[in-house]
Amino acid sequence: MRSLSPAVGIGYRSAIDEWTRAHLGDFDVLEITLDAYLGGGRGVRSAIYDLVGRIPLTAHGIGLSIGTDAPLDEGYLDEIAETIERLKPQAYSEHLAFTRVPHQDLATLLPLPKTEAVAADVIAKAQYVQSRVPVPFLLENISYLFDWPDSTLSDADFLNLIFGETQAGLLLDLENLLLNSHNHRFNPYEFLDSLTPGIVKEIHLAGGMSIDEDGLARPCLVDSHSHPVPDEALDLLEYALTRHAPANIIIERDARFDAVSELLDDIARVRARLANTVGNFHVQSTFGSAG
Amino acid sequence: MSNRLLDRQVRLLEYLSSAGILFGEEADMPADPALQGIDRALLRLEARSACNRRIEKVLALFPRTFDFLGSDRKLILREFIEVSQPTTMNSIANGRQFSEFLVARWHLKPPTPAYLPDVAACELAIAEVRNVADEKLQPMGNTCDGPKRNIRRRRTAVPQRCYYDIRSIFDIGFGGLDPPKRETRLVVTLPAGICNPQILEVSPTVFDLLTLLDDWTDPNTLGTINNLENLLGDLSAQAFIEVES
Repeated sequence: MRSLSPAVGIGYRSAIDEWTRAHLGDFDVLEITLDAYLGGGRGVRSAIYDLVGRIPLTAHGIGLSIGTDAPLDEGYLDEIAETIERLKPQAYSEHLAFTRVPHQDLATLLPLPKTEAVAADVIAKAQYVQSRVPVPFLLENISYLFDWPDSTLSDADFLNLIFGETQAGLLLDLENLLLNSHNHRFNPYEFLDSLTPGIVKEIHLAGGMSIDEDGLARPCLVDSHSHPVPDEALDLLEYALTRHAPANIIIERDARFDAVSELLDDIARVRARLANTVGNFHVQSTFGSAG
Repeated sequence: MSNRLLDRQVRLLEYLSSAGILFGEEADMPADPALQGIDRALLRLEARSACNRRIEKVLALFPRTFDFLGSDRKLILREFIEVSQPTTMNSIANGRQFSEFLVARWHLKPPTPAYLPDVAACELAIAEVRNVADEKLQPMGNTCDGPKRNIRRRRTAVPQRCYYDIRSIFDIGFGGLDPPKRETRLVVTLPAGICNPQILEVSPTVFDLLTLLDDWTDPNTLGTINNLENLLGDLSAQAFIEVES
């Protein structure tokens, strides 16, 4: 066993391509959004492809919709597999959510009923995805504003069930955990305690915002990826690292790019927290075997 | 009521993309049994968030068009949301949906200024050429050697017929003089190695030829066009056409 510190980086966005390249040395890893590559023109594609071999990459998707109660989109999965072959990322992550149904795509991540039947369906699909891509497959916990009334499992039990059966990894979004714990009133540390040790393979961090509207019982925190990572999320990071050994910690930013230098502050704050914890955990391997 | 998850997911997406919930009129909508037990205020927040993301994609593709729409912008976006369901996360596909909506709307009620359809069409063409993924570049080679191979218009060269010469709007931006009314044949193009699309005026002959070359075409079938060989050489040099490999 060897002591390893997780790699720290950001989600690559073409809107900050120039800035990202100018600061490449500040990051250990970049997360590529596969759908930006697939839906992008040659400028976007060549900019992303240009990063291959210059810095370790990990791949993230937003269009799989693994939770739709219908067969996976084989054409989309073909494109994902082909792009993964080309970009050679360490892992491929997606969201434990649904975004679309046949003929309609809201392009927003929506929650699933947390039941054993839904978990079984996700497990079967995750195993199929694992058979199609040559790198480890991870699923991310989403932030959700509403829950289905027929949910019978806790967030952690739902995740443990899926990851226990599939050997897929959890991409733990700590900002989503923080928002969900606020919006749905549960203790995020108890959630972390309930997760099967070792299932977290990557971590997402971001900064959200609060929204208050007529009709809401109280203000909601939303995952806007627009602000610095809050200290509460970094506290959760420190706590999570005592039980999990993620390969990568990725900071996501999708708004307020005029203040993009805040990302460098976030990176420094994450590394400072890692310095507090890195002696406390050991890593056997960053990712398990693919498939 | 069906308990199948897919049915409930379909109903949820229909609800979240309905104009009623987006514009605060859901109190008038009948309660959907499939969504019973879900907080409506939270659904409204989710719906608005998703809709805003879709609108941001459209706004990013049609900045000049929206400048000209001015105070009509809100009304037009609302009409778009009412008639056009979200079917894809893809930006350009949402842009095409918006363009189709505008064409249909303006067919019934021509806009002011009258050159706005030309502006919107060119903005969509710019988005289309930006969206083209890698092309395999094939030189034309010596067109006199051997059998001629099929040719087609490059996806990065979009012909656009306009009724006003709106190029100044793309050079100078919103707020300049009204463009002159003059039928103009343009090609919106993004040659390799160039970051920003160019809008070029072409002759009627070139324009008509490019519109004939949407699909792979045997150049021998174009024989009635004068000086075809030289013309094809010029079009290839400008990266307007490509040769089948």
